[in-house]
Amino acid sequence: MRFDKIWIVARKDISEFKTNRYIVFSLVLMPLVMAFIMPIVYLVPFTMLAGESPDVPLALHLNITHYTSDLDIENATVFDTKFVNSNLTNVLAQGCIFDNCSLTDALVRDSSILNTTIGSSYVIHSNIEGSPRVGSVLSGCVIIGETSEIEQLLSVFINSLLIFFILIPAMIPTIIASYSFVGEKLNRSLEPLLATPTTDMELLAGKSLSIFLPSMAATWLSLIPFVILVDVIAGPVIGHYPLPNPIWIVGAFILAPLFCLLSISANVLVSSRVNDVRASQQIGSLIVLPLVAFFIITIAGFITLDLFYMSAFALLIALVDAAVVYLSLKVFRREEILIRWK
Amino acid sequence: MIEAVELTRHFKDIVAVEDLTLKVKDGEVFGFIGPNGAGKTTTVRMLCCLINPSRGTAYVNGLDITHPGDRIQIRGMIGLLPETPGLYESLSAHRNLDFFAQLYGISKGEREQRIKALLTTLDVWDRRDDPVAKFSKGMKQKIAIARALVHKPSFLFLDEPTSGLDPQASLTVRNYLMDLKKEGITIFLNTHNLDEAERLCDRIGVIQKRLLAVGSPEELSSKFWGKTTVIQLRSATTQMVHAVESIPSVRRVSLSEGKLLVELEHPDRDNPLVVKTLVENGAQIEFVNELKHGLEDIYLRLVGGRK
Repeated sequence: MRFDKIWIVARKDISEFKTNRYIVFSLVLMPLVMAFIMPIVYLVPFTMLAGESPDVPLALHLNITHYTSDLDIENATVFDTKFVNSNLTNVLAQGCIFDNCSLTDALVRDSSILNTTIGSSYVIHSNIEGSPRVGSVLSGCVIIGETSEIEQLLSVFINSLLIFFILIPAMIPTIIASYSFVGEKLNRSLEPLLATPTTDMELLAGKSLSIFLPSMAATWLSLIPFVILVDVIAGPVIGHYPLPNPIWIVGAFILAPLFCLLSISANVLVSSRVNDVRASQQIGSLIVLPLVAFFIITIAGFITLDLFYMSAFALLIALVDAAVVYLSLKVFRREEILIRWK
Repeated sequence: MIEAVELTRHFKDIVAVEDLTLKVKDGEVFGFIGPNGAGKTTTVRMLCCLINPSRGTAYVNGLDITHPGDRIQIRGMIGLLPETPGLYESLSAHRNLDFFAQLYGISKGEREQRIKALLTTLDVWDRRDDPVAKFSKGMKQKIAIARALVHKPSFLFLDEPTSGLDPQASLTVRNYLMDLKKEGITIFLNTHNLDEAERLCDRIGVIQKRLLAVGSPEELSSKFWGKTTVIQLRSATTQMVHAVESIPSVRRVSLSEGKLLVELEHPDRDNPLVVKTLVENGAQIEFVNELKHGLEDIYLRLVGGRK
């Protein structure tokens, strides 16, 4: 196999794609939506619900004047007091510190709550750290050293967006390949090409490369603004920059190319059986089904989108790739193309 | 030389080409004529190593089309013009040719030189940077011919090169093929256009799955009809017919609409004797001519036509 010939074929195909408005439009639009629209539309509402970063404690300006420990207090109003190892029930508290206590049916304001169980209480403008809460309402509080449910959900959601992102290298090849293979078949330009001193493998590799390069370029280029936007939007909420993370690195640099290759090879198979660019695109787009299934499984909570499952999924797709590439090599033979391709 | 030896191709139960054995000499223009579905395109595809024969083989410049190691070499020395131009419509004429020239491993300088020469000869140099989609059918065909020649092939396979072209475009293409013939390229021409085949080809093969006949138009004519002299008489009698029949070198004599049709082995030698005999028997001769059977007659006779 000669790489110079592969590159000649790839370059010619890329020159053709550049003149095809539909391909150029797809190459620009889809990454643009994924990189800019998606993070804004999906993440901004989350951040509005979650508020600011939890790791910056509120400036409470406490003025503790009393110290109390190992007491059970009921039906009281307390202020400027530090409570240690105490149980407080039905109390109204302001400007206090609760350390290793239990708060039940309490209304607490401008206080610092450490390692304290908060039950059926209403806490306003306070710092909370290491304190489990049962049936309580927090308002304007900062929870230190703990990720809130909404923030946890945000982290999971950012990783789930990866699945959408991989749609770029899965879908764009469907569009380009339909023109590359079916278009060339309809135009009857394959026969003179097949009569040149190139091998079937060189032709297939060249044509596949011409689809792979723009698809992956669009994917990776759109990744840059996407990462920046996600970090800008979600960073203050989570307290750190969520991207890039190992799951995204596996997704973007292993799973995405694998899906791109799968999409190209599947489209070679589809192209051998259809005579219409749109039909080829419609059938070829079914390639996203495993991706969507994986997304549903993770969203439904059957599996956690972590590094292990991402790697396992990538391995599975690699195996499917090997099978589909093998089949596409069998289909993309001179004899097959001239005689059996419809 | 192109040599086919019992070349056969089946598509499942359908026979496309059966036991094709022929030789095309170097520098020869060989016409391949036959009805639709006769196996012309299949033969070209086999000879160009695009599809494999079911049986038999062929040699192009001594290389075996069934030998995997020879196939790339064969494709490097042939040029193919398929039935449809099959150009990259969105690319320019120059880019189309440059792409193919690159695949044949031609250096940049030589490519430019060759492309310019071809496009100038075919009168499309001024439109070299226009997308092919804007070209007329005739111009596209010219570009396709240029593409088949861009690497200076030794063997050129043309499948219906003037099909669907207007008379002027056909003439341009035909004239160019005549020029190529002078350059000594071996040309294998599939065509329905019998007039074109007759004008361009040194030899012709008539195929209908099997090779029905092969030879120059004159050879084929003489094979089926012999050599016939037409003698127009003012008034013909049976006595005159019998007199001519009595000449030993005469094969057959017939009388049709006042014309005496005399089949001879060597008309050049025997015509004076025939004329002398007729005059001696009181014939008044208006003219003497040779009866020619065109390729159309040969073709129709071979493939089951009525003529």
